[in-house]
Amino acid sequence: MPVGYSIYVETPSPIHHKLDPRTKLVATGTIFILALEFNHPLMLGLLTAAVLSVGLYARLSFKRFVPFLVGASWFLILGVLIWPAYIDQGQYLFTFYTVDVTLDGLLFGLAMGLRVALMVLAAGVWMMTTSPQKMTLGLLKMGMPYKAGLAMSTTIRFIPLISAERATITEAQRARGLRLDKGNPLSRAVKAVNIIGPMFLRAIDLAQALALAMDARGFGARKSRTNIVQIEMTQVDKVILVGCGLAVIVGLIMRIMGIGVLIEGYL
Amino acid sequence: MSSLVSPIIDVRDISFQYEGSPTPALDHVSLTVAPGEFVAFVGQNGAGKTTLAKTFNGILNQSSGEVIINGYDTRVAGLAALARIVGYVYQNPDHQIFANRVRDEVAFGPRNLGLSPTEINDAVQNALKLVGLEEQADTYPFILGRGQRQKLAVASVIAMGSPVLVVDEPTTGLDLRGSLSIMDLLRQWNKQGRTIIIITHDMNIVAEYAPRTVVMAQARIVADGPTRAVLTDEAVLKQAFLKAPQITRLAQRLRERFDFPGDILTVKEFYTELNRRIGKCRGG
Repeated sequence: MPVGYSIYVETPSPIHHKLDPRTKLVATGTIFILALEFNHPLMLGLLTAAVLSVGLYARLSFKRFVPFLVGASWFLILGVLIWPAYIDQGQYLFTFYTVDVTLDGLLFGLAMGLRVALMVLAAGVWMMTTSPQKMTLGLLKMGMPYKAGLAMSTTIRFIPLISAERATITEAQRARGLRLDKGNPLSRAVKAVNIIGPMFLRAIDLAQALALAMDARGFGARKSRTNIVQIEMTQVDKVILVGCGLAVIVGLIMRIMGIGVLIEGYL
Repeated sequence: MSSLVSPIIDVRDISFQYEGSPTPALDHVSLTVAPGEFVAFVGQNGAGKTTLAKTFNGILNQSSGEVIINGYDTRVAGLAALARIVGYVYQNPDHQIFANRVRDEVAFGPRNLGLSPTEINDAVQNALKLVGLEEQADTYPFILGRGQRQKLAVASVIAMGSPVLVVDEPTTGLDLRGSLSIMDLLRQWNKQGRTIIIITHDMNIVAEYAPRTVVMAQARIVADGPTRAVLTDEAVLKQAFLKAPQITRLAQRLRERFDFPGDILTVKEFYTELNRRIGKCRGG
């Protein structure tokens, strides 16, 4: 069913097919809020594990999460490197160049990295379990104007097209002796102009052609539209939505009470 | 047909399969092209013409077999070295034009090859002169018409001075005038001793310009020889879903009743033959 390029993976799981895309969007949003409500690595770690298990329950193989985890690990490293310089509470560990590193500083850095990992994973699970069509449809049902929804699905559809254009342009320029693998990072960035220039122009061309083709087929002639894919909120959806709402409120209360918070005064 | 001269392109039993494709794009293909030849690759979409041509400058590397270009093995030589020998003009000029001036666009290739500024300047001047874009040298390329952009694409590859020029569908999307002027300029470049390979679906262009034709079908070369022989071989054309030029088909129909020669490729040849016969009738 999915058309175009996305990281969506079709599996016969209830998360994929039983849940309304709106529910999944709200759940993802809830995870985002929860990620900001806590700053203790343990709490964030638990949430990350929960999101991962949802992903595995959706019959996504763990392999698919590796790129997300690798990406997030950069933030983990960055967090652990940067935050100790700003946090001075907690048990003193050692001094690195003029910076007194404390246990809490390291843990907070870890928490900030985990926060990014959690958000990225949640968004990843959302996108892997919700086809672009349903995603767009969900947003439309939530009141997004149809044209905005179309812009969204077109963007997803355009990724493979532009990618193919890029491949051809790269070939054409390499055939003219362009060596992208040579030189320092700066000169390589400058060389990329030779690819990006034609690519932008092709993208604009494609978009214009698409607009014309759609106009020619009567796009926008009617106010209301029907959809091939139908979505419906079920009992399960409602339970999950209520659960999401509760989770946000409980999270707030915990925050105020100082549970799951490592360092007061930081988000 | 190029056994006497050492070939500039020597393809030895190569195969290639695109990732994710169930069938091979090239299936044990062999081909030799001598320096100075003008060859047309014809065949259906997906027959393997472009794939074959892309192995000549190492853009694609075959999975088995060898491609020897001017004595270099393409898998060893690398794209940068091969770019000096084989110039490749892509089907859509918009895939390569990026500069703000026609002159800079043409200078891009020679500059990549590391030529000196004077050499670059000469190469650009000559290329622009050949394609007839001298007056537009300082124009913004994107305001040129489709035909002129195609010429610019050809010029920017010609400027690299490569002895072999591959042009993928040189006339697609061009009007008659644009097509003829591109083809005339390729012929002119060929007369200067360059090897030209065109990939096309236009049989009239093949009949008019290319002395040698290679027919591809289902990842193989099904015919390779003088254009006159290939375009009049009905069995081969049928196999490759191609049609000879109308005038050739007309001549073949007339062959049965009027003993007309069946190997006519152009209107001019047809006219000459007809004229001769009418003259004979009147004279006799």
